[in-house]
This record gives sequence, C-alpha cells and structure tokens, in this order.
Amino acid sequence: MMPPQPVPWGKVLVPNRDPVHGKRVQLMITCLCDAFFDDAAQAALQCLERAGCEVQCPRDQTCCGQAAYTAGDWAAYRQVVRHVARVFDDPAPVVVASGSCAAAMFHEAPMAFENEPDLPVIRALAARTWELSDFLVNGLGLAAWPGRLDARIAIHDSCHTRGTPTIAAVRTLLDGIDGLERIDFPDSELCCGFGGVFSVSHPHVSSQMGRQKIDKVLSESPDYVVSADMSCLMHQQGIAARQGRAYPIRHVAQVLRDAGGLP
Amino acid sequence: MNRQALDAYAQGLDDAVLEAIDVGARSGVDKRLETLTEDYDDPDALRRLAGLLRQHTLDHLDGYLSQVEKRLIENGARVHFAATTDRALEIVLDIVRASGTRVVTKSKSMASEELDLARRLASEGFEPLETDLGEFVVQLDDDHPSHIVKPIIHKTRRDVARSFERNGLGDYNDDPETITRRARAFMRRKFLEARVTITGANFISAQSGRVALVTNEGNARFGLAGADVHIVLAGIEKVIPGDRDLALLLSLLIRSATGQRMTSYVELVAGPRSPTQPSGPREMHVILMDANRSSIVGGDMAPILRCIRCGACMNSCPVYRQSSGHAYRGVYPGPMGAVLGPLLADGGQDQLADLARASTLCGACGDVCPVDIPIPDLIARLRARSVKNQLTEAGHGVPPMGIYSFLARHPRLWRLVMRLGWIIDWIPLRRFPVPTARAWFDSRTLPRWRGGRFRRWFRRTERQRSRG
Amino acid sequence: MADDRALIFARLRESLERLDCRTPYPEFAADVATPPARRGNSRALFSQRLRAANTQVVESVSALAGLLEDRGVRCGYCDPVLAPRLSTALGPQIELLPTFDRSRIDDYRFGITRASAGIVETGTLVLKDRDTSDRLGAVAPWIHVACLDPRDLYSTLAEAITELDDDPNVILISGHSQTADVEGIMIHGVHGPGEQVCLFLNQEEDPETRP
Repeated sequence: MMPPQPVPWGKVLVPNRDPVHGKRVQLMITCLCDAFFDDAAQAALQCLERAGCEVQCPRDQTCCGQAAYTAGDWAAYRQVVRHVARVFDDPAPVVVASGSCAAAMFHEAPMAFENEPDLPVIRALAARTWELSDFLVNGLGLAAWPGRLDARIAIHDSCHTRGTPTIAAVRTLLDGIDGLERIDFPDSELCCGFGGVFSVSHPHVSSQMGRQKIDKVLSESPDYVVSADMSCLMHQQGIAARQGRAYPIRHVAQVLRDAGGLP
Repeated sequence: MNRQALDAYAQGLDDAVLEAIDVGARSGVDKRLETLTEDYDDPDALRRLAGLLRQHTLDHLDGYLSQVEKRLIENGARVHFAATTDRALEIVLDIVRASGTRVVTKSKSMASEELDLARRLASEGFEPLETDLGEFVVQLDDDHPSHIVKPIIHKTRRDVARSFERNGLGDYNDDPETITRRARAFMRRKFLEARVTITGANFISAQSGRVALVTNEGNARFGLAGADVHIVLAGIEKVIPGDRDLALLLSLLIRSATGQRMTSYVELVAGPRSPTQPSGPREMHVILMDANRSSIVGGDMAPILRCIRCGACMNSCPVYRQSSGHAYRGVYPGPMGAVLGPLLADGGQDQLADLARASTLCGACGDVCPVDIPIPDLIARLRARSVKNQLTEAGHGVPPMGIYSFLARHPRLWRLVMRLGWIIDWIPLRRFPVPTARAWFDSRTLPRWRGGRFRRWFRRTERQRSRG
Repeated sequence: MADDRALIFARLRESLERLDCRTPYPEFAADVATPPARRGNSRALFSQRLRAANTQVVESVSALAGLLEDRGVRCGYCDPVLAPRLSTALGPQIELLPTFDRSRIDDYRFGITRASAGIVETGTLVLKDRDTSDRLGAVAPWIHVACLDPRDLYSTLAEAITELDDDPNVILISGHSQTADVEGIMIHGVHGPGEQVCLFLNQEEDPETRP
C-alpha cells in the first residue's frame, strides 16, 4: 500500500514555461555533482537518453549562482547568472539535476534581475528551465518509469521544491518501480538546515536541524535516502558521518537508472 | 571568530526551553492546519484574497486613514496621530495624567512594546498592569514576550509558579488552573481600580470606525468595562476598508493564530459607551502611530505591512524553534520579525540586519501566512540590502563571494579547480583558521572530491552515445 | 499633534507616489470565509454550536434555577428589565440584584443580561452596549447568563457583522473565557466568566407558560 501523497503546501510555484517540442535538451549538472556526485550527473544524463532525448551538456557550464544569492551578494549573483544564460542560450529546454538550482533559475533569478535591462533574457531562460523529474513527467509526459529495484527508500523533498511540480513528479516516477517501498518519516516537511550559506553562517542551528532530520529519517531504517537535490543530502550525510552513522544517499536519477527503465 | 548573534544565542539555550517552544510551536502548526483543511476546500484561495485586500489597503492608506479619522470623530472618539514612538508615548502620558488615575490596565499590544509602554509608565510613577496572563507573567519577570500570540511559550509551569511566589501571589504552586485562578483574583480589583485602560487594535474599520479586539481571556472586555478612559494604540497599517472585510480577516486571523474558529471574545469598539450604559469608558482615544511605517508603504518591502499578527509564521519556522523569540532581539520575533524589526526600529536596518541571515529560506512561513506575504523573498531582499549597504556586522560567518563568482564565470579555471580539488581530501581543513571551513567541519564531513570525473566520462562516451 | 498628522500624510503620499499601479479592491462575496459545512440557520443547529463552543444551553427559566441551585449560588446581578420575568420562576432563594456595585464585586456569583442576537455559524452570542444593562454585570461574575430570543439569529459571522447598527460596543461571545498561556494547557475561567450560559427567552411570551 502506497504511503499517502504529501499535503500540498501553500504556495504553488509553477513557472510559466514554454511547451516542449522535440527531444533535444541541455543538461545542467550543477556544481555539487561536478565536484562530488559525478554518478548522479551521469544517471541524469542516462535517464534523459533512455527517455529518448538528445542530451547536450555544455562544457562551459559551472554553477547556477545561488550561493551568491543566499549570501546576499546579488551583484556577484547576477554575474554568474549571466554566464549561465550565455552558456545555455540555445533555445532547447534546460534540464537541471537539482530542484534548488532549477528553482533558483525560475524564482530567484528574475527577482535579482528586477531592475536590470537584461531581465527579458533571464525570464526567457526561466521559461525553459526544468528540474529533471518535473521534465520527465510534465515536459515529456511520462506517466510512469517501469523498472525494478528492491529497496526501502525515504524521499527527502528539498525546501526549494516546495510548491513546485517536482514533488509530485518524483513520486510519479518512483511509484512505477516494482519492489520499491516508499517509507514515511516524521516531520518530513521540516527543513533539514542546509540553506546554502546558512550552513556556515549559522553552524549550530544548521547542524541541530540536520541532526534532528537524520534521526527522524533513520528511525524508519531506509535503504536509501533519495532526493531531487544532492545539496541537502550532502549536509545530512555529512552530519551522519560525523556521528559515525551510515546514511546512504541517492539522487532520484540514480534510482531510476538502476531500476532499468524504458527500452 | 565573530559569530552570528542568533546562532550563539541558540547554542546557549536550555533543553527545557527548547522543548517548551517546540511543543508550543507544533501545537500551533497542527491546530491551524486541522481547522483550515476541515473548514475550507481551498484555504490558499482565501489567503490570496486576504493578501490582495491588505495590499489594496496599504496602497491607498492615505485615503483610508483619513476616512477612519473622520468616522471615529463622528462616533465621539478623539483621534491622535503620532509620527514616532516617542510622540505616541507623550500622548499616552498626557491622557493618563489628565485622568488622575494611578493604575492603568493594559491588554496585549505589540505596538505598545515598540514604545516599551509598561516600563515607561512605571518609570513615570504609574502602576501599569499587563492583564493578558502571558504578558502578566512577562511583566512579573521583567522579561519580554518571546512570541506575538503566546508570550510565554518559552516558559514552563514551574517558571510561572516561581514568578508568582516571588511576587507575593501565593506559595509555590505550578498547577496551571491554580495559577490562572490566582491571576483572575488578583486582576479583578485592578480592572475596577484603573480609570484608564490601554489596548491595541487587531483591526480598525475605516467604514464604521470599529476597533476589533480579539481575546480569549476577557481581559480587554473587563478592562474596558471597568475604566473611564480607553486608549487604543495602533500602527497605521491596522486600518481595513470596511466591516465586510472584518469577517474575512477575523476568520483567517483566528484560525491561523490558535486553530479556533472564534476566540471567546471579539469586541468591536466604535466609540465611548452609549449614554444608558453605566459601565465602560466615557472617553475613547485612538492613537494612530506611524513610527517608520510610512516609509515602507509603496516600496518593495510593503507587503510585510499586511501582517495581521497571527504568529503562524513563527510557529512554522524551524530556526525560530531552535533559537526562541528572544534571539531576535527586537519586539517582533520569527520570520515576520526578521523583516519588520529592522524596518521599523530607528536605525534598525543596521542593528538588526543580521536577522535576515537567520533563515534557510525554506519557505514554511510564506506557506502559512494568511495574508500571503512572500516572507522568504522579503528576507532575501533585506539580506541583499545589507550587503549592498556594506553592513559588515550582519555578515559574520558569510564567506565572501568574489573568488567564487570569478571562478563561476571563467569555465577553464573552473574546470582546472575541479581537476585539482582532490587536494582538499588531504588537507586537515578542520584545523584551518578559515572560518567557513571550521563552521562546516565542526559538525559535518564532506564527501570525497570527485571533480572532473563526470566531464571526463562525458567526453569519453560522447562519441559512443551520439553514434548509438 | 497637527504637525504629526501633516507629517504622516505627507510621508504617505510621497511613498505612494512610487507605485506604478495600486492594487485594486478585490471582488468577493461577504461570506467568502464562511465554511460550507457551517452554513444553516436553525435553533437546533445554533444550540448544537453553542454547546460545541463551551456555552451551556438552557431552555427555560426553571432549568436555569436548577443550574444555579446545582452550582450552589444564591445571589447575582440581573438586568432590572428581565428581573420581574425571571424572579418568580427562579424562586425566593435566589437574590437578583438590579445594580452592579463595584465595591461588592465578588458578591455577584452570576450576571444575567440580554443578548441581542446569536450567530449560528460559530455558536456565538452577540452583546450590544445599548441592550446590555451593565457591562460589568456581564463580564465580572463567574457565571454569565445571556438571555436570547431564539428568533434573533444570524446565519453567519459575515451576516452578523455587516448588519450591525451603530452600537458603540458589540461583543461577540463564543464560550467561556480561557487561556492556554501556561504550557499550552487550556484552562477556562480567566478574567471573563468561567461559565457561559445561554437562556432562550422569547420577548413577548411569559416564560412560565412556554410548552
């Protein structure tokens, strides 16, 4: 029996997006996958290819810039986002292997560019930016991801995906996999304390929140903690490791790829 | 190493306090959600509507203020304008002195906290009494409220019992019912003794002049019934267009604040007592206070003035729960306090600018706000403002972004750093005097560095994939 | 003070000038916040909601006499207009005092005053200043008995509020006074009455002869 769908949170952040034509996409792997989680980036690409996409992966991509946004240095943030806009200026959809990076592009970037002359460029970029699971389900129209993987998984929804289609899309994809058991844990909607720069500006509160999060997740003994965002998982796993506890993390794409999937 | 004040404060908190706050906050969150989902198919549509209504009022505040002034005067009340908290205090003192009273009863009002009113009245030789039970305890302890709806959310019954004992209200007894009865017995006489009673205003209807006072305890009711003079102290943003708006806003305020459908008492005061009424104020004064609100109206931070002081945001805030209301240092704690505090306090944008950093921008607050204030966005904007204004005190612990943004704009350098970054696996970063590194590594590890691997894999397999 | 007023309005106008466009008043029905499940207008429903809101419902004066006897109270304040109608049925052992003497505040174990209306949606009693013989008689004693003609019912809070006349002090009462300030534990009977009662009393009828 499937656990109940999460209570829909208040705000709905559905960006006005261009409809998807054709199967050519540009993949943004994100700086964290670039530095630490290469297999997650690989899996993201493989999933897109399995879904029939022709995947471009621009070499000059670096980072979405949200570290500068959360630091409050919006001048630096805008510089980085302009670089992103240049690198991804192809009109094909930009598929991002991270809910927070995608949300930054369609929510935070337009805010920071409110009074800038190139706001239209940023808006146009936002209109073709998709988080990966959201793209598979709502961009390509996949109703399910058939496959098999015997595992108990706990899904961590990053706060950035609050109110976006990603939350439902992740579940649509994972629910189609035989053998996968989705487990609930207490206070799943409560932030884990990463918050970008917050993790280092407020280390005590950040790690308190993180400790409470991992205690609740581990109380249900999942085989994997799965998320559309490696940033939160990195923080949670880091805390667990400091306590000497195992905390196996997977990106949604890794689970989808490992489960097999479309022919 | 300079630390963020809120983080340091949180670290010093007692487990008992954290537990009390957690329980109080959770109950607020649960009750609110339960009532809203039981009563409405689409509670979010209601709060979007309420948000538009409040924003409309703010965007036309000059007209509505003028209207409410006129109406209140027609109703027999006196209207005073106070440009600053000091002026508001002067006006209150003038009225209190003229009444000849010594005892002044007071209902809960966050606006009055902006003037530190009770303390100021006491220092002028009057006997001010906070009549809301939570505020009464705060007053006994010479403390400050830590939540705008539940002032002693941070205290246990034992704390309260000790306060009562210390202040001659009976031997130590921590039974909540006994505590409550003692407060009742004590305060009854004071309601009758006080010739002046001071309240805030939850809302003021410009159409009818009605001042809405929402309580469960009946302290405002009794305070008014016992007094000769009623002083209403309200920020100018408390005005709403008309009585029809009251029903919508009351319904949302009460459900959001306590999960009830109605509080025990909602008192709608339009003027002094009617001629045949033997009890109640013969004089009503309404003080409309600006205190920096007029500079927020019409600007990019204006939405924060929609706030109807329900407290739902702080109940839902995980950072508030870990640090308590006092960590926010000003009158207003939690998410709304992190925005309103710096904007209202004189010189506050500088002194309280660090509050904008005390947030993960998780969005829980924005999700529960009954007037649809985009709190996380406002917090982020304030953060950006403090960086732009180079308020270095606010930026403790925040790594500078210069190098990072340079690398992020120079892909070749970026790729080089990715390839060479494995070096951090060999450096004992925990011992490095780099504050950012210490802040991370004190309680967390980092994964193994794997920079460059994806890019190499991609280049290697590019040909195969494009063929296949 | 005139300077303060002028200053505030000047600042407001200056601030508002920055706006390209001002948010218009949104269109909505006055009862938009009335929960669908809480509509309806009947005495039975009202009684049910009163009880759910911690108000005791008393259908006759003799029942009120029983309640007061049960509480062991003998003396209280009563609206002098109501007293003649109630005193016979309440009996000689209950003393109804027609004025509220502040120096004897704790002698009044109950207060009986008129409620002007009821609100079915929320189980609320509406007290208006002009219909309340003494505010202190309604708020100070432990037991408050609000006498309401059950025909004076509003269906919803929205209806009640939008149809208010110009009474200077309208109190919407939904149950006894309460607080959860100490550890979130709900305690009733703080500053307002610890027991809230509603007595249905038709305006024209003699309460003794009601079937």
